Amino acid sequence: MVTEQQVLDALRAIQDPDLHRDIVSLGFVKDLHIERDAVAFALVLTTPACPVKDEMKKQAEEAVLRLTGVKEVRVEMKSEVRAMADAGGQLLIPGVRNVVPVGSGKGGVGKSTVSANLAVALAQTGARVGLMDADIYGPSIPTILGITDRPLPGKKGIQPVDAYGVKVISAGFFIRPDQAVVWRGPMLSKLVDQFLHEVEWGELDYLIVDLPPGTGDVQLTLCQRIPLTGAVIVSTPQDVALQVAEKAVIMFQQLKCPILGIVENMSYYICSHCGERENIFDTGGAERAAERWQAPLLGKIPLATRIREASDGGRPVGWDDPGSAAAAVFSEIAKNLAAQISIRHLKEEAEPAVKISF
Amino acid sequence: MAVNASSQPSPLEVGRANQHDVRIRWSDGSEKIYPARSLRLKCPCAMCVDENTGLRILKEPGIPLDVHPVKIEPVGRYAIVIHWSDGHNTGIYTWENLYELGQKLA
Repeated sequence: MVTEQQVLDALRAIQDPDLHRDIVSLGFVKDLHIERDAVAFALVLTTPACPVKDEMKKQAEEAVLRLTGVKEVRVEMKSEVRAMADAGGQLLIPGVRNVVPVGSGKGGVGKSTVSANLAVALAQTGARVGLMDADIYGPSIPTILGITDRPLPGKKGIQPVDAYGVKVISAGFFIRPDQAVVWRGPMLSKLVDQFLHEVEWGELDYLIVDLPPGTGDVQLTLCQRIPLTGAVIVSTPQDVALQVAEKAVIMFQQLKCPILGIVENMSYYICSHCGERENIFDTGGAERAAERWQAPLLGKIPLATRIREASDGGRPVGWDDPGSAAAAVFSEIAKNLAAQISIRHLKEEAEPAVKISF
Repeated sequence: MAVNASSQPSPLEVGRANQHDVRIRWSDGSEKIYPARSLRLKCPCAMCVDENTGLRILKEPGIPLDVHPVKIEPVGRYAIVIHWSDGHNTGIYTWENLYELGQKLA
C-alpha cells in the first residue's frame, strides 16, 4: 500500500505558478486519506478565484495516479482566503479578510464600472465579496448594479444590500439624487469610518472599495484606519490619464499601501461592422506604466457597447451574458487580482507586522 | 523618481527604552532610542509645524520637561500616532520620518 509520505512527495512536484512554491510546502494538501488503492485529499487554495484551479487539480490527480499501488484518486478543491491581520493576529474589521481600494487619478476612467464588475466576477468564483462605494461625490454603484432597495438597520449597524451575490453599501443610498455632497474633510472621514465599522459586512474574503477620483480625504482616511491589502489602479491608456494615475500611485506608496495591479480600461475598440481594432486612446500605455510602477497589469478592458449598456441597465455583463468576451475580461482580471492578493499574503508572512507595546 | 518603492528599513518593534523613552527596532538590525521630549518637540502635526512654510510653531518652553507617551497606536501601514502626557495626540509620525529622526536623535 502507498504511504502518506509517498503521496506527499509526489505532490511536492506540483508548483503554484503564482506563489512559486510547491503545493505541499504551501500547506494546500489537507485531509489525506489512503484506503488500499484509493487516495483522497483536499487541496485548500488561497482563493476560490485561483486562475489555475482546474489545472492544479488535474496535475495532482495525475501525479498520485502515477504511484504504484494507486488506482483511484479523489481530489476535493477548497479555498481559504488569507487575511490581513495585526501583530496579534486579529482581523481589523471583524470578519473582513482583505480591503482592496480601486483608485485612479482622473475621474471618468471607469473606476466604478471596474469595481462593480470585479466584485461580481470575484463573487461568481465563490468568494464572499463586499463592495463599498466610497465615491461620495458621484456614487454610481447603485445604478451600475441596478440597486433600488435601500439598506435596513441591523442588530449592530447597517445591513448592506445584496446585489448579484455582492454585499453593497453606497453613499448613494443615503443621498437623494437631487442632492449634492458639499462636505469638508472631517465629514468625509466620518463617512469612511461608518462604512468600515458600522456596516454589518459579516464574513468577507474581499471588500472592494470604489474610491472617488484623486488623492484626497477619503483615500487618506482609508489608508490611515486599517492596513489595506493593496490598491488597484484604473487608467485609460493615454498619457494624460496615466500621468494623473501616477499621482495616485505615489500617494499609495507614501502611505505604504502596496499596488496590487493596474487595469487598463477603454483599452481598444473593435468595430462591430468590420471587426477592425482601433486604439482610440493609444496603446501600450498600461504596459509602460506597469513597468514604471513595478506593478502587474491585471487586464485590459475594451471600449464596448455591451459593457456600457450593462452598466447603464444595472445588470453586470458577467451575470447577464457570462459567455461574452466582456465577461471573460472581467473574470480574468478578478482571478489575476485574487492571485496578486495571495502573493501579497505570502510576502506579509515573510515580514510580520510591527509589534507596538507602549 | 518616487514611484519605486523605497528601500528604507521597515520597523519590527516599537517599545519602551525606559519609563519615558521610545525604542524602535528596524529591519536593518539597528535599534534607535527616541528620548520622549525630543520626540514630542519634533511633532509634525499642523498645530506644531506651519503647513506652508514648514516652520515650527511649537514653543519649546511650553512643553513639560517630563512629557512622555501615554499610548502609541499604528496608523494604517505607514505611521504611528503618539498620545502624549500633555494631552497632545494629533501628530502622525511616519516610519520614514522616524527612521531619519533615529539617526539624528541618537
